[in-house]
Amino acid sequence: MSTPNQFDPSRRAFLGATMGGTALSIAGLPSQALARINAPHEHEKLKETTEVFGFCDMCYWRCGLKIRSRDGRAVKIDGNPEHPNNWGVVCGKGNAGLMVAYAPNRLKYPMKRVGKRGGGEWKQISWDEALNEVAENLNKVKKEHGSQALALIGHGSWEKPYHRLAHAFGTPNTTSPVFGLCCGPRGLANMMVVGRNLTGNETIDLENCKYFLMMGRNVTESLHNGETLGWVNGVANGAKVVYFDPRYSITASKADEYYALRPLTDHAFLLAMINVVINEELYDKQFVAEQTLGFDELKERVKQYTPEWAAPITDVRADDIRRLAREMAAKAPSVFVYAPRRMTRSSNDLGTGLSITILNTLFGVWGRKGGVFTPQKYNVPEPDLPEFKHAHIAHRVKTGGDFDFSAMDIPSEHIVDEHGKYQRADGAGVMGRWPIANAQYGLTNEMWRAMAEQKPYPIRALITAGGNGFLNSTNYDIIRKALETIDFYVAADVIPNEMNAYADILLPEASYLERYDDLQIGGAREGYVAVRMPAIKPMHDTRDAWTICKQLADRMDLGAYFPHESIKELLDDRLKKAGSSLAEIEKVGILKTARDDKINFPRDHGNPLKIKTPGGKTKAEFVPSMLKNMGYDKALDYVEQVRPKDDEFHMTFGRVGYHTHARTQDNIWTADFMRENVLWIHPEPATKRGIKEGELVTVTDQKGRSGEIKAKVTARIRKDTIFMVHGFGHWDKRMTTAYGQGVADSDLASYEVEPHVGSMSMGLSLVKVEKA
Amino acid sequence: MVAKYVMLADTVRCIDCKACVISCRAEWETPMGYSRDWVKQVEFIKANGMPEVMLFPGRCQHCDEAPCIEACPSGAAYKREDGMVLQDDAICSGCELCVPACPYDARWLNPKTNTISKCTFCQPRVDKGLEPACVQTCVGRALIFGNINDPNSEVSRLLAEKEWVKLTTDEVNIGPNHYYYTAGEAIPAEVMPKLHDRHLAGKVMENVVNPAGVIGVGGMVLAFLGAGVMKLIGRRNEVGTHENQEGK
Repeated sequence: MSTPNQFDPSRRAFLGATMGGTALSIAGLPSQALARINAPHEHEKLKETTEVFGFCDMCYWRCGLKIRSRDGRAVKIDGNPEHPNNWGVVCGKGNAGLMVAYAPNRLKYPMKRVGKRGGGEWKQISWDEALNEVAENLNKVKKEHGSQALALIGHGSWEKPYHRLAHAFGTPNTTSPVFGLCCGPRGLANMMVVGRNLTGNETIDLENCKYFLMMGRNVTESLHNGETLGWVNGVANGAKVVYFDPRYSITASKADEYYALRPLTDHAFLLAMINVVINEELYDKQFVAEQTLGFDELKERVKQYTPEWAAPITDVRADDIRRLAREMAAKAPSVFVYAPRRMTRSSNDLGTGLSITILNTLFGVWGRKGGVFTPQKYNVPEPDLPEFKHAHIAHRVKTGGDFDFSAMDIPSEHIVDEHGKYQRADGAGVMGRWPIANAQYGLTNEMWRAMAEQKPYPIRALITAGGNGFLNSTNYDIIRKALETIDFYVAADVIPNEMNAYADILLPEASYLERYDDLQIGGAREGYVAVRMPAIKPMHDTRDAWTICKQLADRMDLGAYFPHESIKELLDDRLKKAGSSLAEIEKVGILKTARDDKINFPRDHGNPLKIKTPGGKTKAEFVPSMLKNMGYDKALDYVEQVRPKDDEFHMTFGRVGYHTHARTQDNIWTADFMRENVLWIHPEPATKRGIKEGELVTVTDQKGRSGEIKAKVTARIRKDTIFMVHGFGHWDKRMTTAYGQGVADSDLASYEVEPHVGSMSMGLSLVKVEKA
Repeated sequence: MVAKYVMLADTVRCIDCKACVISCRAEWETPMGYSRDWVKQVEFIKANGMPEVMLFPGRCQHCDEAPCIEACPSGAAYKREDGMVLQDDAICSGCELCVPACPYDARWLNPKTNTISKCTFCQPRVDKGLEPACVQTCVGRALIFGNINDPNSEVSRLLAEKEWVKLTTDEVNIGPNHYYYTAGEAIPAEVMPKLHDRHLAGKVMENVVNPAGVIGVGGMVLAFLGAGVMKLIGRRNEVGTHENQEGK
């Protein structure tokens, strides 16, 4: 379509007249110029660009991207319409990824600490010097303390090679915050009951779901493009949304019904729902009869949890609970009880997770249209590598480094090590400590503690690959002590932050727009493998994770674990084993298997759901045998949660659509919308304290930690609860945009430990708020 | 039939993720502190005492009777046959008279180029058969763009399917081509267009159109015009050079 430029004739006449009459005499415009006014209008041009494929690093969902570049500069990030994680759309954060690459305060070259650890003084060194120093120090720790004395904490879409390096080094102590600080309890609960993880990239048939019971799943603000779009489509297709949250979030504004549930009492509400579903026989009778175990025991155990019992605990009326249960049953199996993304909140997150899974199982959502689909997987073999010392943990490397949705079992060696090998220092998967915690991801919170206390055995060296131990955990004293206690700390990252400020050696990673990475392998309705290609050359003296790890491995005599000459060779090797090649995938960005309703929705096609629980059962377990054997089935029972006294509040925190974790506050494009966080407080307690909108308040927890923050006085929050957006309150001066803005919620959140899983119970904190 | 382009914003599908705003910033390299589009979040208490939040993605409404065009002394602001209200940077003097003329606050002076910047419905993308940058990236698919004169277009189908409203008031009703769906909820006053006091300056300029009004023109306005003329000379030279090259 090319319309000739329009030029209003009357306007032209005006110009002629005006210039002839006045302006011309002022400017002395030659008459020739007037004729030129008849030239067609000029307008903006869409400049020519080249395009490569990638996947996003702005959050953990990892949407498929197309990155446009011009004259060696990446200028625009678009979505890849073929990628099932986002179908072509990209959120604000994803669009702002350019400002990660172009941040002026990026880590630009290898650095060595001078002066006191954490003092923030560095000198530039060469890559050779940096890698040699890391290899020497790690080998020294191995020689003096053994290979188990190394810990690795990774947090980002490029952490995988570091895990491989650590596993090759011979330590079991590799961890990612995703389990202990985020999704652990719900993934575990799904696993225990139906042998499915259902986290990472969730496999919910959102478009066809007809009823969402959302337990604080703020899907519009803690957003993942494909998930959010699927949910919005589901709502547009007529799904009912019932949303529970102490805060009236944007998701609440989209809901048909909203309940300002009392914080931490989700479990009580869910138990009452289960009670009604069982007593009124609202469950999927065929599925329960054919594919589940333990129904009678469950029935007996939830007998006491009537709606009348739950009402005063949860602030949800008993008749509402009954009605919601009946409404859902009427729409089952196209219904879904939606767990929050992060479920490290109460003192019984395992019980909350189990109730959610149990309710979904009673409604028979598994393998049904509008419920939960069974994903496919694109099979891309890993290269042949020598055996790992801790093979069971290295299993993670084989599954692509993702939070593993498809592993149908937890290998028994996670529980007991019969070979006399060192068990994990964080106790994940260790009998007598945190036996049910995921030993592939570990408990990052407990790993910090192990480093700080040097128990159960010395951890003397630490590698971090991305992440921010301070702002994503909640006990700064423990993190600080850990970082000050160990002998050697090497940090790899793209941007500066409070944690990597402590590093002895700082390795600058190329941003995700400047590098290749190992393949993204995922399972949606279709299985897929996607590629990340460099859109631009590295702007600084940076390297990518795989290259760094290979070069370290070579220096530590572990080169056999990185047998390829380059990351490109690795990708090509892997893809060729899968019947494709790097050259081929670079043309399209993603390879997919076809959707197959028979695989995705087996129960709609008369086939049973394939189940294998960690307890070894081929049926869903309402009271998981593995938990029973360990005595952890007590988590099914409700545990009374903390309640604020008159002058106290529940301390809650969460997300806004344009910030991720603690990593986008320094991005100038996202910070433009929110540079500092504010404290949400209800008008009634605010008035009582003389607090007005925008005024500075002091918020203090029971342990005396405090901060000053501006107030947002709003009826969108319960009277007994305050809220703030997560990830602010940075104190690293290198973070030029985020420095000193707002308060770190993580410094006020609780650092209690969930007694069954070992994950954190961040929501137990109670705070006081006064005018500053 | 000539195309007529419109934008639809389904506020029920909007989640205020700011993807549209940042996508626009990247596509058109707008300077920090300025944006061609926005998402307004409006909070209020409903009659039943419950809080409510509504979201309004917005941008130039590409009005049929665009007052910015009337206010523009140099002819830089113009409307294309397909309804797009565009800006000719080459002859824009940066006088800013169009800025207060817009009751939707869609125009601003780009301090880097000293010309007016505004949403163009991504005309250069649309001319290449692409969607506007904000539409392409919209996470909730809340923004829908298309040709209202094509009965088979998505916008025509959606307009027929649901009850859409425009941001107009008794005072400001200038034929915007941006539609909103709110599922029947009333539009809050905060997002409604407003006449600006300084719009009167635009009225003065309209008098200039009439040569009889020349006498009343103030010195400031003359300065604006002077700037516009200098741009025109530059434009003349540019176009002339271009044509000469083509001639060879």
